[in-house]
Amino acid sequence: MRRICCFLVLAFAIACMATGPAWASDTIKVGVVGPRTGGAAATGKAFEEGIQLATDYVNANGGVLGKKIEIVFEDTAGAPDKAASGFERLATRDKVVMVLGESHSSAALAEIEVANRLKVPFMVVEAWADPITAKNYRYVFRAGPSNSGVVKSTIAQWVAAEKFKKVAIVAENTDWGLGIAELCKTALDAAGVENQSLVTERKSQDHYMELTKIKSFDPDAVLAFVYGTGLHYFVAQAGEVGLTPKAVILDGAGPPSLWPDFWPNVGDYGNLECFVSSMHEKVELTPLATEFRKSYVKAFGKNPTDYKSRSMFDAILIAADAINRAGSVDAEKLVDALEKTELTVTRGTARFGTEKGGPEYHHWMPPMLVIQWQDKEQVVLFPAEGATGKLKR
Amino acid sequence: MFAIASMNGLVIGVIYALTALGVSLVVGIMNVVNFAHGEFYILAGYFSFLFANALGMPIIAAMGLAVALVFVFGLLVEYTLIRPTYGDDMYSLILTFILSIVLQNAYLFIFGPYPNKPPGWIKGATNIFDLFFYGNQRMAALVAGIAVIVVVFAMIKLTWFGRIIRAASQDRGMAELNGVNTTRLNMLSFGLGCALAAAAGVILAPVFPVTPTAGVPVALTAFVVVVLGGMGSMWGCIIGGLILGLVENLGAAYLSTGYKHVFGFVILIMVLAIRPSGLFGRKEA
Amino acid sequence: MTISLGESRLKSTPKILLCLAGLAVFALLPWTMGVYNQHVLIVCLFYTMMAASWNLLAGYTGQVSFGHAAFAGIGAYVSGILVVKAGLNPWGGVVIGTLCAAAFGFLVGLLCLRMGGIYLSLTTLGFSEILHIVINNEYEITRGTMGLQVPGLIENYSKIAYFYIFLAGALITLAVVYRLVHSNAGLNFRAVQNDERAASALGVDVVRTRLLAFTVSSALAGMAGALYGHYMLLITPHLPSLDQQFLVLSMTVIGGLGSFVGPVIGAFSLEILSEYIRAWGEYHVLVFGLVALFVARFAPKGIVGIYKAWRGKYRAATA
Repeated sequence: MRRICCFLVLAFAIACMATGPAWASDTIKVGVVGPRTGGAAATGKAFEEGIQLATDYVNANGGVLGKKIEIVFEDTAGAPDKAASGFERLATRDKVVMVLGESHSSAALAEIEVANRLKVPFMVVEAWADPITAKNYRYVFRAGPSNSGVVKSTIAQWVAAEKFKKVAIVAENTDWGLGIAELCKTALDAAGVENQSLVTERKSQDHYMELTKIKSFDPDAVLAFVYGTGLHYFVAQAGEVGLTPKAVILDGAGPPSLWPDFWPNVGDYGNLECFVSSMHEKVELTPLATEFRKSYVKAFGKNPTDYKSRSMFDAILIAADAINRAGSVDAEKLVDALEKTELTVTRGTARFGTEKGGPEYHHWMPPMLVIQWQDKEQVVLFPAEGATGKLKR
Repeated sequence: MFAIASMNGLVIGVIYALTALGVSLVVGIMNVVNFAHGEFYILAGYFSFLFANALGMPIIAAMGLAVALVFVFGLLVEYTLIRPTYGDDMYSLILTFILSIVLQNAYLFIFGPYPNKPPGWIKGATNIFDLFFYGNQRMAALVAGIAVIVVVFAMIKLTWFGRIIRAASQDRGMAELNGVNTTRLNMLSFGLGCALAAAAGVILAPVFPVTPTAGVPVALTAFVVVVLGGMGSMWGCIIGGLILGLVENLGAAYLSTGYKHVFGFVILIMVLAIRPSGLFGRKEA
Repeated sequence: MTISLGESRLKSTPKILLCLAGLAVFALLPWTMGVYNQHVLIVCLFYTMMAASWNLLAGYTGQVSFGHAAFAGIGAYVSGILVVKAGLNPWGGVVIGTLCAAAFGFLVGLLCLRMGGIYLSLTTLGFSEILHIVINNEYEITRGTMGLQVPGLIENYSKIAYFYIFLAGALITLAVVYRLVHSNAGLNFRAVQNDERAASALGVDVVRTRLLAFTVSSALAGMAGALYGHYMLLITPHLPSLDQQFLVLSMTVIGGLGSFVGPVIGAFSLEILSEYIRAWGEYHVLVFGLVALFVARFAPKGIVGIYKAWRGKYRAATA
């Protein structure tokens, strides 16, 4: 017993030492929040890659205010309460000048409250819920897609362009799934497209019943708002019950269709699946995008797949640019500098909306593409100006 | 709709029964609920993926090796964690609960967050009586699942080891008096329970790829099945699995897809309120 | 707060004085620290409430419930929904949330009455899963995984004020547990835990005892959950989840299941530990779990048990 006691004391002591007070350093700290554990840990992985490439890039190009940029990555596990306290920890203990990241809308909504209370600039990267910027908080920005942005400027227009008559909507029972499904339904109703919505459980592995219901509705397209492994199950099983290839499936999130395990998991049924993405292996909108891909391949020995690594890369560049232009780490000056952002990053030129009232405030909506897998090749279908091919069914 | 819902209910039901069998066996013999059952299932899925994909072993060999390794791992867990808890069923429940969280995070650390899928056995889908299409891999899993269940039942009914198991689950003290080494029996049956989880894992991983946290719903449904059927009752386990599979699928077809997994829990609580020992459980359980 | 180890009653005046002095020092603690550490203290107090009330159930009557986090969720959601949708005062919400959790606790306890140990655990697990799915699906009312944003308990957000609210909550919880355990009912509790049949033969009303423990424990969890929701200003399905249940269980077990101060020690040491190991990013849950597993396996009576064994040896050596 005594030995155990000693061991415990020792363990505590080591833990304390390992995380003792940070040495005063010549770096400027920027916080990142995102899920590193839990169901969406893959996103944390993508963020990590983006962080590594972006810090190297920024520091190789003069750093920020003559110092090196340092990223502190805080795990939120995708849980809003952990996210809120993680944000608070970054701001009050690590004293970061700005926080970036997040991919769960629920976590982001908890974090923006903290950001606003502590007056710390916060740039959301991959959380799509409208209220994040629609609340019009002064300290909250979003350099990434929003639900209404994706639906309005990408999904609804794609549905109209392909002239689908009947569309089924499937949503996982999360804020993101249910929220974006509702926006889609409104958009489709307005466009006079016959549609049917269905809720599925996020943890569910077996989607046969949902798919059978959809099949009896007999749609031209299925808009699937299911994230992660669930999407792989969904696509594979849709093939098994014969829903596809008669109907095309659109993965409304994107990354799961690009994960390294997509093909092993869905097999041939992945062919002709469509997905929304901000990244395409051939369509690179800026020189920086090409540079990103090259340095990614150099660092990790493979092509970038999850576009969220590049979203994080962009966010860090935007943050570094704002800090440099503000000439200080003062929060008010940073917000002013962010509002005047005009920076070309991998996804185009970032500009934040300044009109109050809607979700467009402090929001930069990067262009999103609709891509279809055709014989394991990515073919851009939408928008027309970037298209590299036509929809196959 | 009804046809495919019943068919899928039966298939999923057999799958549920298979995953629950290990839990039921361990409960019956040792009165230990292995909360980490789902994590053993996942481990076998990962092993078979690793052996078949990374090492290029034939899939049957990979599956066999995976089950064997999980069996050994189960023995180790019994020896280090479970053995001191005998007689205190709550203590073992708490320990295995913590173990399940540890294993989930260890998998995340080792295998990463992405889903992994061992190669499928057959491709495509079959048109069933011109009513609907059904995935071939699922039907193969159904056949393999039934085969494993039959083997387990035969072992328990026909072999010497099975007789000991039956004796011990009826009356431990008496079995001990008759010269059964209960320590070794416990170790073996815990390992066997884990091996059954592993068998379910290798059979189902090609249908439902494994992720670090995918074991949680697996274990939850296994518990529902075991309680529904009655603790330690093998037949109860089969019936419970089939009931749960059918209820979930018919419920999803006619009531609500979002509440699919609630139906099982509701039935569970209703059954327990009326007959606390489950459908086939012994009265004093 | 760590003075009165074990189940022994506070008999002597010096012990009580010492206890009060410790409490006074603790109550002044937040004034000496930064905002972040104040937050950690508040979370510690929340887990103290959760662990102490779970201990009442699991440690004293042997009913290992997996639904404790669910009852906290009921308290939080009932309060939050009433405040947001019906414009109730948050304090009123906390009271009604607590009563609702008590009512559900009573019903689940009633359902579990005829069940043996493991059946009870699995039934409460089922209850917790049902609640979780309902909260996720009925997102129009609960806001699902997005979380329900609720107003705070006080007009001007202040960590220090919340600290005292949570301190009061923790003290109420501990007082209720203490009263119950050191009353006739408490003796019955342990009798029920040790041998239900013998207890009932001795005239202990087993049904009443178990129901009482279940109801009180659930009410306390509901109160903790409601307070926590109005502190975080956000209630999410993560509150009534198995992860949360895992934390509460680990804290109680590591502190010392079935001892009065065990859950307090467990809540504080594990929460503070997890703050330290958070810096290890994705490995922190793994480290946390390993520590919990290690302690649960090699020191099943927890830190309190270790202390007692050590004190026993020390006394034997000096005597």
